[in-house]
Amino acid sequence: MKRLIPFFSLLILAAASIVWAQGTARAKVRTAAGEKPVTMVQHAGQTLFPADEVLAAVGGTLARDPEGFKATLNNVEVAFATDSRYAIIGDELFEMPESPSVIDGRVFVPWQFFQGFFRAAIGMDVTWDVASSTLDVKPLPRQMVSAQASVVDLQGLTKIVIQLSAKTDYNIAREPGAYLVHLRSGLRSSVPEVAVENPLVSKIEFHDALIRIVLKNDEVTASSYRLEDPFRIILDLRHGSPTQPGVLAPSLRLPPVDAPGIRTIVIDPGHGGKEVGAIGASGLMEKDATLAISRKLVDILGRRLGTRVVLTRTGDELLGLEERTAIANQYKADLFVSIHVNAAIVRGAHGTETYFLSLDASDELARKVAERENASSPAASNAPASSDLKLILWDLAQQDYLKESSRLAELIQTEMNVLSGVQSRGVKQAPFKVLVGATMPAALVEVGFISNPDEEAKLQTDAFQSNVANALASAIEKYKNEYEVRIGAAAPPVATPAAAATTTSARSGV
Amino acid sequence: LRRLLIAAAVTLALLSAEGCRSKTTAPGAAKTSDRILNREIQVFYESPRLSLVPERRKVPLPENDAAALAGAIRELLKGPRTPAVGRLLPPDAVLRAAYLLPDGNAIIDLGGPTLTAGWNTGSHNEMMAAYSIVQTASANFPEIRRVRILVNGQVAPTLGGHLRLDRALEPAPELVAVSK
Repeated sequence: MKRLIPFFSLLILAAASIVWAQGTARAKVRTAAGEKPVTMVQHAGQTLFPADEVLAAVGGTLARDPEGFKATLNNVEVAFATDSRYAIIGDELFEMPESPSVIDGRVFVPWQFFQGFFRAAIGMDVTWDVASSTLDVKPLPRQMVSAQASVVDLQGLTKIVIQLSAKTDYNIAREPGAYLVHLRSGLRSSVPEVAVENPLVSKIEFHDALIRIVLKNDEVTASSYRLEDPFRIILDLRHGSPTQPGVLAPSLRLPPVDAPGIRTIVIDPGHGGKEVGAIGASGLMEKDATLAISRKLVDILGRRLGTRVVLTRTGDELLGLEERTAIANQYKADLFVSIHVNAAIVRGAHGTETYFLSLDASDELARKVAERENASSPAASNAPASSDLKLILWDLAQQDYLKESSRLAELIQTEMNVLSGVQSRGVKQAPFKVLVGATMPAALVEVGFISNPDEEAKLQTDAFQSNVANALASAIEKYKNEYEVRIGAAAPPVATPAAAATTTSARSGV
Repeated sequence: LRRLLIAAAVTLALLSAEGCRSKTTAPGAAKTSDRILNREIQVFYESPRLSLVPERRKVPLPENDAAALAGAIRELLKGPRTPAVGRLLPPDAVLRAAYLLPDGNAIIDLGGPTLTAGWNTGSHNEMMAAYSIVQTASANFPEIRRVRILVNGQVAPTLGGHLRLDRALEPAPELVAVSK
């Protein structure tokens, strides 16, 4: 019987080849440059195309990676896998009617894959004409947007904010002496260029669907992210050699930092814009106090730790609570600290409180739903369930980091206790919105009570702001050192200082 | 004959509808749900020690808990009678609606100029204000296990920029003063 196994295997392979040969047909890809023949196959009622052939017809490439496949076109990458109907470009998902299939060693995708990808990569629409077996690649009708750029220099960081009149896809590329923001939409601008007085940037040019940020020299690195309502593209420029000269800078994500440890810290000055936060009796606004302390903290951390430190807002900007954690997630931050100033109706209330996120029974329920959805087969899942799952996963993002968040909060509270004249109000847990979606240890510190006239007066002084910033920096430094020793990324100190003992309890200490 | 048949059918339909109505409005049931009683309730405010403390009041409220919930929250919004404790919610906050659902969830829909425009307050005050509602609801109506707070009928991210309101809040006994 065993001798027959190779025979049957060959027979099955031969049969599969016949079925495969019968299922394939020829189609063509039509672009402005002409027509090119491609293979197509009918599979489960869907028309599938070999990804490599169609991509090659428009100048793109396909590669395998450990998690699936990666297609590249016009410096835009899309990742996809055979076990998912979703492909991902940056942070954006798009759905295909069927998961890609590997047939005879090649990956086949539904034609809608090219529609989603080409729209993002080259601003072209794709339609499938059954009658002529043609994949038609045509330009999308063009949307026009207007742009406004502003440049802020902040302690060695140049922040460029490009505000657009409507949301549009974009890519950011690097060329010698400039960063290029390619917009999918056409660009309307009243001026062709704006001169900039800045250590890193000399001018910003507005072209048709392109914004060129002209640098003063090539020793500049950039990272970028976007904000909604209004739609803004933000580039943070710093002195330093570009890590990947000539290669597309990430439009939404930074290149991953491989070295373990605390490499990026995001500091979030609470409130901003029309959301002024609490207001003191003499008129001090929470948004101003938090920004002043945060700026000082960023400066100290930059000097003391040599890590990348990012502010969620550098000026008086309105920023949604989810946007703040989204920025931290986009930067792949290792720590997130949100800085606030407290208020109570009891005038005498004073002192510091540090919070990390609390979960409740509904979070536990959500976790179970997420596990169930994750466990379900791809065939059983559908689009609404997946989007629900995405929301649940966002809600639970902080769950995995609660232990670390608790430790971070303890260290912050301990350092704030040391700050003379400030009474400890303890480490607490609360369902604070700004901590929900952070995929890293996260804490929120209320540095004092603006509703207390004495503390309001102190919060306005440069000295107190510096003291608070120093205390927070010491706490973050201690957490970094402790964490890196724990994960083996750093050697333990020769003489271990006695750890300060603090007690954590759920919403305790009131 | 056709007209007669139609008239008979309409008469029958009206009679049967009347019959159904009289079944649902049994005299005893109507009085129970609508009866107003002088009920003692607890409304929660902030003590000088920054805890939630109950202020007891006897107020006329419907005997039916689902109807009485709105009355209890309106009492809370009136503010404290004791000068020693403080009102947590903005003075112009109003109750738009309150619902008690059979699964133990209560929905409290708030409105008013300050909450509509965006309340500029600190996290402590915001948290205590939200939990004063949760505590007032759950202390007076034991069937309430969670409270969902809406603003102008909508899910608001927060009341004042801190505490998430996209989930129902459960009572937080640790915020309440321990009675001696």
